[in-house]
Amino acid sequence: MPDCSLSKLSASVVLLAWALLLSACSDFPKDPAKTLKKVENGTLVVGYSENPPWVVQGSPEPTGIEPALVKAFAQTLHARVQWRKGTEQTLFEDLEKRKIDLLIAGLTDESPWKNEKAGFTRPFVEHRKKKHVMATIQGENAFVVRLEEFLYQREAAIAQRTQP
Amino acid sequence: MKKLAQFEFPPELVPDFEKAKRLEWITIAYFISSALVIFLAMGNSQTMKTAWYDDVLSLTPPIAFQVASRVFMKAPNKQFPYGYHRVANIAYLCSAVALFALGAFLVIDSTLSLVKTEHPTIGTVIVGGHQIWLGYLMIAALLWSTIPSVILGRKKLPLAKHLHEKNLYTDADMNKADWMSGIAAMLGIVGIGLGWWWADSAAALLISVDIVHDGFTSLKQAVFDLMDQIPKTVATEQPDPLLEQVRETLAGQSWVKDFSFRMRECGHIYLGEGFVVPAQEENLIQHIANTAQTIEQLNWRIQEFVITPVPELPDDESA
Repeated sequence: MPDCSLSKLSASVVLLAWALLLSACSDFPKDPAKTLKKVENGTLVVGYSENPPWVVQGSPEPTGIEPALVKAFAQTLHARVQWRKGTEQTLFEDLEKRKIDLLIAGLTDESPWKNEKAGFTRPFVEHRKKKHVMATIQGENAFVVRLEEFLYQREAAIAQRTQP
Repeated sequence: MKKLAQFEFPPELVPDFEKAKRLEWITIAYFISSALVIFLAMGNSQTMKTAWYDDVLSLTPPIAFQVASRVFMKAPNKQFPYGYHRVANIAYLCSAVALFALGAFLVIDSTLSLVKTEHPTIGTVIVGGHQIWLGYLMIAALLWSTIPSVILGRKKLPLAKHLHEKNLYTDADMNKADWMSGIAAMLGIVGIGLGWWWADSAAALLISVDIVHDGFTSLKQAVFDLMDQIPKTVATEQPDPLLEQVRETLAGQSWVKDFSFRMRECGHIYLGEGFVVPAQEENLIQHIANTAQTIEQLNWRIQEFVITPVPELPDDESA
C-alpha cells in the first residue's frame, strides 16, 4: 500500500492554514442568521420576565440591573430597544422562533432552560454563589461575542451594584 | 507432550517489546492529558464532544495492552495447560468492541444534532485577562490532541509488526490516522466561526463514521481470531506466508506420503497440527520428532506443531 498520507496531510494543512487566515478577518465568528447585523443601527428585541432586583416591572419600560445593562449595550450598537414582557416559558419559545434577540429574567447558569434551544452568555456577575447570565438565540456567535465583550467591560461596575 | 514455551517473545524481540510497553505508557499519559485539555475547551460543540470521546476511547487499546502484557508472559500450568497467550486476543477484542460501540453512538448523536438543527453557541473565555473566542482555544486543544498522537502512532507501527501484536497495531494505526479527525474537527470549529452552524455536527459525523469503520474492521478480525481462523498477517490481514513454508517443509520430507495440517493463532503465537500418512513405519517416532522440530524452528511464532500419524486422510483434506 503506497503511503500517500503525507501528501494528503500537507494538503489538509494548507487548507486549514487558509481557513485560519480567513478567520483572522475582523468579523469572526459570524452569525448563521445575521442577528448582529440586523440589530446594529436597527432594533434590539428584548424579552423580559420580572425577577427583582435583576428585572423590575416599570412603566413604560422595565428597570433594574439587567434592563439598564441592555439599554447601554443597545447604545453601543446604535440600536433602539423594543421590550416584550412574558413568562420564562413563552420567552424561551420566542427565542427559539427568533421572535426576540435577547432574553433577560435574572437567569443563572443553573437555569432549567439551559438545554433548550437557546444560547447562554458567560456569567457576568456572581451573586450569592449564583452565576448570572442572559439568554440569546442559539448559535448566533457574533452577537454572543459582542454581548459578552460588553458585559466583561462592565463586570466591575455590575459587581459593585449588586453588592448588598 | 512438550511443554509450551514460557516466554512470549524470543530474546531478539524483547527490546522491541520493552519499547512498545514504554510507548504505551506514554500513550496513556498523553491521552489523559489530551482528554483533559479537550474537556476544558469543550463548550457546547458537538465536534469537541466527539473529539473528547475519541481521546477517552483511545485509552482502551494501550490499557488493554498493559494489562494483557502482564498476563501473557506467565508460564503454562495445570489450570492453563495452553498458557496465557490468548489474553492478547481478548485485549484486541476489548479494544475493538470499545471502538465500534462508541463510533456507532457518535454517529447517532451527531446525526441527531444535525436533524434537530442545533446551532452550537460558542462564546468567549477570559485567558490571562484577555477575552478571546472559545473557538480559538478549541483549535489549540485539538492541535494538542492531534500532533503527538500521529508521532506516537508512527513509532508504534513497526513494533506491532515485529511483535505480531494486533491490538498494538490497531492502536498505532488509529493514532496515526488521528490527523484526519483532528483536521476535520478544526475545520468544523472554523466552520462555526464562518457562520455555518452545520459544520460542527458534519465534522463530528465524519469523524465518527471513521471510528465505526476502524471499529468494525478490528471487531471482525478479533472475533475471527478467537474462532481459530488461519493465521493472518498483522498489517494486511492476508494468510501468513509461514503457512506456505510449513506446507513445503512437510511436502519435502521423504517419510511423508500424504499430509494435511491446520494452524491457528493464539495471541502472538501459532499452534498447529499435522496429520501425516507415513511412507514407511521405520523410525517413525524419530521422523515425527525431527519434522516437528524443523517446523517449530521456521519462526518464533510457531510455538507448537503436533504431528499425528494416520492411516489415511479424509477425501477433502489431502493437501
